[in-house]
Amino acid sequence: MQFDSITFLLFFLLVLAGYNVLRDWGTRKWFLLVASYLFYSAWNPPFLLLLLGSTTLDWLIARRIDQAEDPTRRKAWVVATLLINLGVLGYFKYSHFVLDNFASALASVGIAYVPPAFDIILPIGISFYTFHSLSYCIDIYRRRFKPTASWRDYALYVGFFPQLVAGPITRFSQMREQIETPRATTVAGLGMGCALLILGLFEKIVLADSVFAPIANAFFDAPGSGDSASAWVGVFAFSGQIFCDFAGYSSCALGSAMALGFVLPINFRNPYASVGFTDFWRRWHISLSSWLRDYLYVSLGGNRGGEWRTLRNLMLTMLIGGLWHGAAWTFVIWGALHGSYLTLERIVRAHVWPVHWNNRALRFVYATITLFGVCIAWSWFRAANVSQGWRIMLELFDLRSAVAGMGQLGPSQIIVLASFLLLVMVHAIFRNSGPIAWFSRLSAPLLGLLLGLMLAMIVLSPGDNHAFIYFQF
Amino acid sequence: MPSSISSSSPGRYWAWAGVVSALLTMALCGSIESYWRSRGYEPGVIDSKLLWAQQRDRVYSSGSRSPLVLLGASRFQFGIDMRTLKDALPRSRPVMLAINGHYPLAALRDLAEDKKFNGIVLCDIDARGFNATYRDMQQAYVDYYHQRWTPSWSVHRRALTWWQSTAVIANPDFGLLPTVLRWWQGAAGPWKTHVHFYADRSGDADFRKVDTAQSTKGFADEFKRLLTEDPPPPPDQWLVGLADVSKWVEQIQARGGEVIFYDTPTSGKLREYANSGYPKSLYWDRFAATIHAPALSYTEVPALESAPLADGSHLDFRDKPDYTRALVNALLERGWLTR
Repeated sequence: MQFDSITFLLFFLLVLAGYNVLRDWGTRKWFLLVASYLFYSAWNPPFLLLLLGSTTLDWLIARRIDQAEDPTRRKAWVVATLLINLGVLGYFKYSHFVLDNFASALASVGIAYVPPAFDIILPIGISFYTFHSLSYCIDIYRRRFKPTASWRDYALYVGFFPQLVAGPITRFSQMREQIETPRATTVAGLGMGCALLILGLFEKIVLADSVFAPIANAFFDAPGSGDSASAWVGVFAFSGQIFCDFAGYSSCALGSAMALGFVLPINFRNPYASVGFTDFWRRWHISLSSWLRDYLYVSLGGNRGGEWRTLRNLMLTMLIGGLWHGAAWTFVIWGALHGSYLTLERIVRAHVWPVHWNNRALRFVYATITLFGVCIAWSWFRAANVSQGWRIMLELFDLRSAVAGMGQLGPSQIIVLASFLLLVMVHAIFRNSGPIAWFSRLSAPLLGLLLGLMLAMIVLSPGDNHAFIYFQF
Repeated sequence: MPSSISSSSPGRYWAWAGVVSALLTMALCGSIESYWRSRGYEPGVIDSKLLWAQQRDRVYSSGSRSPLVLLGASRFQFGIDMRTLKDALPRSRPVMLAINGHYPLAALRDLAEDKKFNGIVLCDIDARGFNATYRDMQQAYVDYYHQRWTPSWSVHRRALTWWQSTAVIANPDFGLLPTVLRWWQGAAGPWKTHVHFYADRSGDADFRKVDTAQSTKGFADEFKRLLTEDPPPPPDQWLVGLADVSKWVEQIQARGGEVIFYDTPTSGKLREYANSGYPKSLYWDRFAATIHAPALSYTEVPALESAPLADGSHLDFRDKPDYTRALVNALLERGWLTR
């Protein structure tokens, strides 16, 4: 079920009540696990079996890895879990992509091949829980910690409903103590949790769905029908939408977990105020970028083999990160663009520009370049296919029509521009802070006014319930 | 502990924040609700794919009442009085699946392919509605039902239906952004609809709120335009295209169900255009003679033929009960339905 549905509010109230009525911590964990599985089943009940199977298998394999003394056996077990997890993910997520590209490759040498028609439905959240499981097994292989003896505790780590379908991708080391030590709802936790839920729903319902989505959808459904100014507004609209959609989900996840006494890691830290692309990836989908760094980039060799190997590893990591988001060349291009940004930035920082890096004017200019670079990359992320992506690029950079088009923007587009600018300013003002810190600084009446305003705007923004964008990954 | 919270007890802090936020929300939403009500707007259920899916869940036999599924478009959705139907057919459970502006063949195909469905379908369709062009008009609803509809959305939709029938501000037309945009553009308030939907998806059209002469002319002109843009296929070709429909009927009949086709009345210019485009003897009558299922044309029943259609196509809500009774009686007389 979605956070922005009335069903979730009812579900959450029942979970909160049931969780606090129960006394025994073990019973409470079972209760949370069953509730989490109910939450997951609301989408497609048969896929709960896949989640259960994946959870149980990885829990068993992790124990095997730990028990094995022989390094070869340890490696064999970790390779097994990699093959199983990535195999399942690959089957559900990449079968069509691989077969279609295989058919295209054969067609280019004159061989006609029609791939079989698979009717595969992507199990929701599979990319996220697969990464949870992999990090657990790899960390045990690396002897970071001992595996848990409790299937229930491990299942709760993977399946805890606030983060199950779209993250944050937590590490077992972040959750172990929280799962093993009894905790309960506190007044402060419940208050802050509700505040984060309201913020998340405000971002999702008011900003992402009501303000940004209509303009973004109108542009990406029919690119090329307007001028450059409209194209930029469309791209900014999607940039605003994807942030508010995903950060909104993360806020709801953090809030509902906090109300139950759990602390999830922050997933976004004002990314549109980033100065540079390295900085961007320290602020955007932090749990994924740190996962890719620790389990992919480091495994590829990280920065241990000299500059060119570092750049190659960086590029590979971003390409795979792009592909993780979806089985399409547009996601690969998005990853390649970010890989290029990062490698270029690394070269410039190392060789060309190290002395003046902290100049304020340069930082402002570079922050602007970063923002535009990120937004241009989002065009590829959202484009339906590569040819549409190119058409959008041509339209964006037809700068003569941009000037003329600026005067012809409609009220909805102007509202989108103003909202996006406001979003960027908020990110810049609170650059090194987060919502928990902002809320905590306010007096109770002021916080009440802010939350009341957001809540009223949520109520006053009815519409269709749109699935969170990151559910499809 | 954060600075503001630690200065007093967390309980008092959050109680204050909660009370202020609840009061502000209620004050803002209440004021805006009062404003719209003072301008003559009323709350109402909004038809949607979710509401359709909720009714789609009800097509299966359970309990003492057997399902009577109403397929079609606006003429059924706004023309059938559900209470009258329930009273007239106490052993039936009417389910409204007609969709305003959408011909129903996709929904009929869906019911035919649903092996669990064995009820009676009353299908409002005219000869034009059988054209291949319009075959998939309701498919998006069918797809939504099979791909996205879950018990979780059912709970959501129930709560939403309650909220929409309680508050004007539950209607997206009265949302914050549309209101700001209307104000910016100097546009008038939202259109005051003459249609009121119920939770069962049936609707009342109140033609006292409509310029019926204008509406009748608009309907007829639009129909004429569509006939020009999408001219009727030759009757033989049209009839060959209905082989699938026969197959769907047989699938439903094989499970003990039945399909009753019903050509709903039109009047005035609209009837004239419809008859000239799709002459009854060349289209409907040939279909009725070919299909192995009951098929009724409004022309066969005087009470239906003379139904007071406010805009040449639809009934005013006050005329629904009489029309529904006339239709049920016609079907009972022919033995196609039983009480």
